[in-house]
Amino acid sequence: MALVAIIDDDPDILEATSLVLKSKGYEVVTANNPTDGYNIVVQKKPDLIILDVMMEQPDDGFFLAQKFRKEKITVPIIMYTSVSKAVGMDYSKSEMVPVDDFVEKPISPEELIKKVENLLAVKS
Amino acid sequence: MNNGKAKILIVDDERGLRLGTKRLLESEGYEVDTAENGEEGIRLGKSNDYDIAIIDLKMPDKDGIEVLQNIKTAFPNTVCIIATAYASYETAIQATKLGAYSYIPKPFTPDELLSQLKRAFEHRILTLESERLKKEREERLLELAYEKTRLNTVINSIVDGVLIVNKNGETALFNPAALKYLNLNDLPLEKYCLDILPSELAETIKKIIEKEKYEQTAYSTQIEIKPNKELVIEAVCSPIPHPNGQIAGAAVVISDITEHKKIEAIKNQFVSMVAHELKTPIAAVLGYIKIILDKSLNITPEQAESYLQRSYSRLQGLLEMVNDLLDISRMELKTKQLEIKELDLVEIIKSTIEFLEFEIEKKKIKTIFNPPAEFPKIKADQSQISRLFTNLISNAIKYNKEEGEIRIRLRVDGKYAVVEVEDTGIGMSEKEKANLFSEFYRIKNEKTRGIPGTGLGLSIVKRIVETYSGKIEVVSEPNKGSNFIVYLPISR
Repeated sequence: MALVAIIDDDPDILEATSLVLKSKGYEVVTANNPTDGYNIVVQKKPDLIILDVMMEQPDDGFFLAQKFRKEKITVPIIMYTSVSKAVGMDYSKSEMVPVDDFVEKPISPEELIKKVENLLAVKS
Repeated sequence: MNNGKAKILIVDDERGLRLGTKRLLESEGYEVDTAENGEEGIRLGKSNDYDIAIIDLKMPDKDGIEVLQNIKTAFPNTVCIIATAYASYETAIQATKLGAYSYIPKPFTPDELLSQLKRAFEHRILTLESERLKKEREERLLELAYEKTRLNTVINSIVDGVLIVNKNGETALFNPAALKYLNLNDLPLEKYCLDILPSELAETIKKIIEKEKYEQTAYSTQIEIKPNKELVIEAVCSPIPHPNGQIAGAAVVISDITEHKKIEAIKNQFVSMVAHELKTPIAAVLGYIKIILDKSLNITPEQAESYLQRSYSRLQGLLEMVNDLLDISRMELKTKQLEIKELDLVEIIKSTIEFLEFEIEKKKIKTIFNPPAEFPKIKADQSQISRLFTNLISNAIKYNKEEGEIRIRLRVDGKYAVVEVEDTGIGMSEKEKANLFSEFYRIKNEKTRGIPGTGLGLSIVKRIVETYSGKIEVVSEPNKGSNFIVYLPISR
């Protein structure tokens, strides 16, 4: 079964998301800061990354995503965010934000599973 | 000249002629004064603005020419007629040169005199009218010149930029502020200027001056004049109507909105921070509830309870944050009624420690507070000062180690009452200290993980301290602890 990496600084989000994915049979690795996040991706080579935008800095998620792409890590990334609507920024797929999908927090377990399945299906 | 009746002066030494003429003219409706010699004639002629003067050329005391000169000097518009029995070509020329209107030989018939007077009076009326028009025109020109300088002065002293462009896109008028806000060194007058102006502004002006008919529509455009939002302007362009219903040009008013833009950016950033901080716990709680409700996940009752427990504390944190935000906005708006009175800091700190007793004991922390017997009072709002020390001491608990210490010291430094709240906790690096008092700033590292907080506590502390013209300093060393030093002015 596919391995999913979740990188988010909120322990409760990490736990809830892990539980949902595990219940569907996915294997999960987690990290609660960008540095650990980078390391688990390099070491464990997950099939999918779920990445939060705001961690220690408001744009940590962006930088991490850019770093992965620069290093030719092409694993699909779902980016979690809670503020795009509030600041009127409508992120979309672009060079600036090299991710495969955007998810506005909060997201229901069904939706999350659907997005994960879709991206993994494209990959395989 | 009143009611259309001419006022006439007769200067003649011949009594019969004088009186006869007077009677004749009065019967014709003229108003008549008489002088029996040259001197009297000069006196009357210099003190009244007669319409017409009939002056005898030869009088015993003074020459009629002299009388004429005197009257003309005082009232150049008095029409003078020279009357004489010794008519000669030379005197006639001389009299005319000196300003006499005409010349009537003596003796004259009533008809001759009346027809001369009629023409003289008409001449007088025309002279006065043209005189009046000339004066009026001069006055109007003066007024115009004055209006123009006044308008220039007014426009030049307006803080906003003013720029007038005519229908051909040529500069008609501008003030120094317009140059400043457009970051231009000059705008040549009566020269095409749309290629010098920022393109957004030029486009807006074009849109106005290219219209066929005048419409009362103004356009507003925001332009970044200097990069990095160093100078941002708002230009409001409106059409100037031509009397024929077309457009004469465009009036542009330029204001500096750099500061507004900065505040807007800060506000947007703040809103996005607040949204993020509020949404994160909601997302976490929603996630847990979904899991509990989802029968397919088959979680154990123990798991469910732990998730509910977590949700509960996240919601509590959320409530705390909302309260903190409300406090901040109240402080900002200054709507909160402050009750300023003399306060005893020793009392307040003691009761704060009591209030936090439970947390202190939970972590087995030792508090050391040995206040002096006498300590100066401060003037402030009790609930704010309590809040200040609650935030500081609860931080000293949260970021302390198990069985650590909190040392609270009081001292006087000049005009300040100084309170130090020192802990033996995780401390901070210089870099972590930098944004300590900013809203939502929380130090995130291995050691702070799991410590709850809103990121607003210290920003509230700073606001309170500043409300009372005090200051706050921090001394800290990683793994040793932090010392927050609050200076509050002593009340006198």
